[in-house]
Amino acid sequence: MPKRVVVIHGPNLNMLGKREVGIYGGKSMEDINLEVAAEAARLNVSLEFFQSNSEGELVTRIQQCKGKADGILLNAGAYTHYSVALRDAISASEVPTVEVHISNIYKRERFRHTSFIAPVCIGQICGLGSHGYVIALRALMEERLDPWLV
Amino acid sequence: MRNRKFMVLSGPNLNLLGTRKTSIYGQGSLQDIHEGLKRRAQELDVSVECRQYNNEGSLIDSLQEAPGEFDGVIINAGALAHYSYSLRSAIGATLLPCIEVFISNIHAREEFRHQSVIAPVCVGVIAGFGKKSYLLALEALVNLTNA
Repeated sequence: MPKRVVVIHGPNLNMLGKREVGIYGGKSMEDINLEVAAEAARLNVSLEFFQSNSEGELVTRIQQCKGKADGILLNAGAYTHYSVALRDAISASEVPTVEVHISNIYKRERFRHTSFIAPVCIGQICGLGSHGYVIALRALMEERLDPWLV
Repeated sequence: MRNRKFMVLSGPNLNLLGTRKTSIYGQGSLQDIHEGLKRRAQELDVSVECRQYNNEGSLIDSLQEAPGEFDGVIINAGALAHYSYSLRSAIGATLLPCIEVFISNIHAREEFRHQSVIAPVCVGVIAGFGKKSYLLALEALVNLTNA
């Protein structure tokens, strides 16, 4: 059975390609989802996508992953930097979660340098644009990348 | 286009991989990582040169040599990531795309490891995926430098 991964986009990511393209690039969220879907097909991973601007809906969606998903790719947008509730939802889900950011958050305002969710994620990928999601999926799923298993 | 070449730099104590704190850093040596990188580079039709130094100055020397000969840098600066402003300046001066990697999830560890002073001069950061972090960074650099 293919592994199940849920790709979760937080607030304002529905505006990708339409806002601040100098920071976030010209690709839309749908473009990014297509890129991740292509990689998922290659890795035989089944994907679901979810986007919400609402913190509570994101919490609920993450809770629903418990026991049902093998991994979460999460770009929590600005909630990253202050949502204790999202952090708790990730911990409670017990699903391996990779934190993704399109931009390099460390090049930006100081309030973006802290991630409340990073300590409960398995790892963080930032600054690599849409390719960061592809890399994140591989980080979660492609065991072959581990040199001991090559 | 000529074959792209990337420098892979590892900082202090990474020569001890596989022999210390294996619960954090995992089994396997830095040599194993370098071999994994070379294999993957070959598949991707690029080349890598892997170096490790405990000495901050030697890392800076390597970065200063990089422009002209290399097309990008993967750096795991180890603990220097958290305080070496000279490394930061050296990375900035290369004008090459640089990806910072960490084996462990630095955000799940001591507070002093949460901040990287070199991250702002890197294109991006990949942290927490064990030795895979290096291989993912190679994939990312190849993608970034695809014309």
